[in-house]
Amino acid sequence: MKPETGGNDQLRGVKRNSDPVLRVTGLRAYFNMRYFGIAREVRAVDDISFIVRRNEIYGLAGESSCGKTTLIKTIAGAIRPPLEVISGSVEFDFGKRRVSIYEAAPEEIEDIRWEHLSYIVQGSMNVLNPLRRVRNAFLDFAFRHIGKSMPEFQRIVEDHLKRLHLEPSVLEAYPHELSGGMRQRVTIALATVCRPEFIIADEPTTALDVVVQKSVLAMIREVQQEIGSSMIFVTHDMAVHANMADRLGIMYAGRLVEEGRTADVFASPMHPYTAHLISSLPRIGDLSIKQALEGAPPNLSDPPSGCRFHPRCPLAMDICRRENPTLTTLAPEHRVACFAASPKVKPSGETTGSRLEHAEAMQ
Amino acid sequence: MTSSISPLLEVDHVTKTYAMGGLLARNAFPAVDDVSFTLEADQPEIFAIIGESGSGKTSLSRMILATVAPTNGSIRFRGKDLSTLHGRRARLDFMREVQPIFQNPFEAFNPLKRVDRYLFTTARRFTKARKRIDVEAVADDALRKVGLSLAEVKSRFPHELSGGQLQRTAVARALIPGPSLIVADEPVSMVDASLRMSIVNLFKTLRDDLKVSIIYITHDLATAYYISDRIIIMQKGKVVEGGNARAVLDNPQHPYSILLKESVLSPVVANQSKAGAASTAGAEPPFHEDVDRRDRVSEAPR
Repeated sequence: MKPETGGNDQLRGVKRNSDPVLRVTGLRAYFNMRYFGIAREVRAVDDISFIVRRNEIYGLAGESSCGKTTLIKTIAGAIRPPLEVISGSVEFDFGKRRVSIYEAAPEEIEDIRWEHLSYIVQGSMNVLNPLRRVRNAFLDFAFRHIGKSMPEFQRIVEDHLKRLHLEPSVLEAYPHELSGGMRQRVTIALATVCRPEFIIADEPTTALDVVVQKSVLAMIREVQQEIGSSMIFVTHDMAVHANMADRLGIMYAGRLVEEGRTADVFASPMHPYTAHLISSLPRIGDLSIKQALEGAPPNLSDPPSGCRFHPRCPLAMDICRRENPTLTTLAPEHRVACFAASPKVKPSGETTGSRLEHAEAMQ
Repeated sequence: MTSSISPLLEVDHVTKTYAMGGLLARNAFPAVDDVSFTLEADQPEIFAIIGESGSGKTSLSRMILATVAPTNGSIRFRGKDLSTLHGRRARLDFMREVQPIFQNPFEAFNPLKRVDRYLFTTARRFTKARKRIDVEAVADDALRKVGLSLAEVKSRFPHELSGGQLQRTAVARALIPGPSLIVADEPVSMVDASLRMSIVNLFKTLRDDLKVSIIYITHDLATAYYISDRIIIMQKGKVVEGGNARAVLDNPQHPYSILLKESVLSPVVANQSKAGAASTAGAEPPFHEDVDRRDRVSEAPR
């Protein structure tokens, strides 16, 4: 496995750890739909900017339908109608290769996928073709990218499976012959066999029970450390984030509302939504009453004015109903979009404000 | 079987065996193996059944709902053996008392039918309401018990409601016949973290205010600890540990229960040093152990 990735490793060594691998700037992606002649615009990703550094796990949290999956789809360049990218850019820096997803030719993106950028999809225990042996899945996905002869490819795959505590015999199995946890490990093996620099994991453990979940998470972390890749890890389970993420971004209704180092976010959440997510976690040994958040997540085709969280927010003020708060750096590495958190948070005059803020955060 | 006051539910040495394999190599696979427990009629409680996937939780719940017959042993509801349940009338009487809630509300409701239709059908079948206005009143009443109202749900399709609202509607539907037992199979595993507590708190209210007993099937130890009164922990069809929920989870005895408790991810950031590598390097050995233990414990051929 070593010789073919030696070059990359060297490059990684030269780069500083704080260099961003992924830079998302002012990204807006809307679903444009037309039903019965009425056009609807669903703002699933609305002006999001963040960076992911080398060798870092960036956790992305938020409830269903807050746009998490749409965000990572736009980052991976998997954009199909009705999803449309309105503005913004997504830039990857893979050391020897820089790619801006929306400017690159389709062939170039094809080339990057799997080799540099891989994706552990949602519900990945069900993505394996039930009629084909696991070996064929590896052939389809990885053979072309690894670019070795068949026996050597075989050896690479088997070595990689061993690293994930899987017997090489799983290659001969059909997906239904494997348990859920093993299938999940196979899909992780598939996504990491080419030693990609960047991995996107979308709810990789949601369908698994606690014992398997823990081992799968450990495995993801182990592989990520070993091949030194960066990762966006998406889940709504805050307990998973506490154990996985180096930095954490909280999404609400298509916007990033808080971002910071995981320990900081858990210790001192500044956005009321984050505070609620953390305080409502039940724990063994804790019998205090946990309150649920009232109300429902907003409809993204008709989001509330101003701060999108204000209808459910216990701290809502007058300004929250009118103005949209800018994601502002309030502490080192800690950005928050809430007027109640600090008077430093200014309303964004839509795009321009957040662009400025973005520049500040990126220094 | 003819005790003066019969318990609400008696599960008496119940076994369910499924046959696996083809014509030549047939294996009997015990999905539920000699499980017994009793729910008393006079004290409503939340009884949690905990176990990983494949531990027989769902098979057990199906037997309690009388949709699957046990291979051995018997289940008695208010002293009446469920295997003697014959005919439509007996089935309806049973359903009036025992109602299910399913795992994924988006799958439990037909996406092409309006949600209120489920409430109205249940109301027509199990209550005296026949006129539209009465049926709507029954549905509204049930929805108010779960913190919703008919106005919010009426003529909506499942995709128009959030997961939490939909699951609460499912609970409201289950409440219409006025059941004394609700069997909830993983009711919160598909619901978002922020809405999960609304369902879990609702179960508490049902127990305290409506005196409904709830069998809460889950693999989430944290919510089980939070709401349940008694629990049993199942592994490969067998009950390995049971008793008062707090006592068992605070101090589990069986190795499998200990493994389960250890596997619960703590929501406390483990004093993570900024270099994530350092913290995980320290934590790796136990993870490996878990993998190995788990492989020994439950990935045995079935």
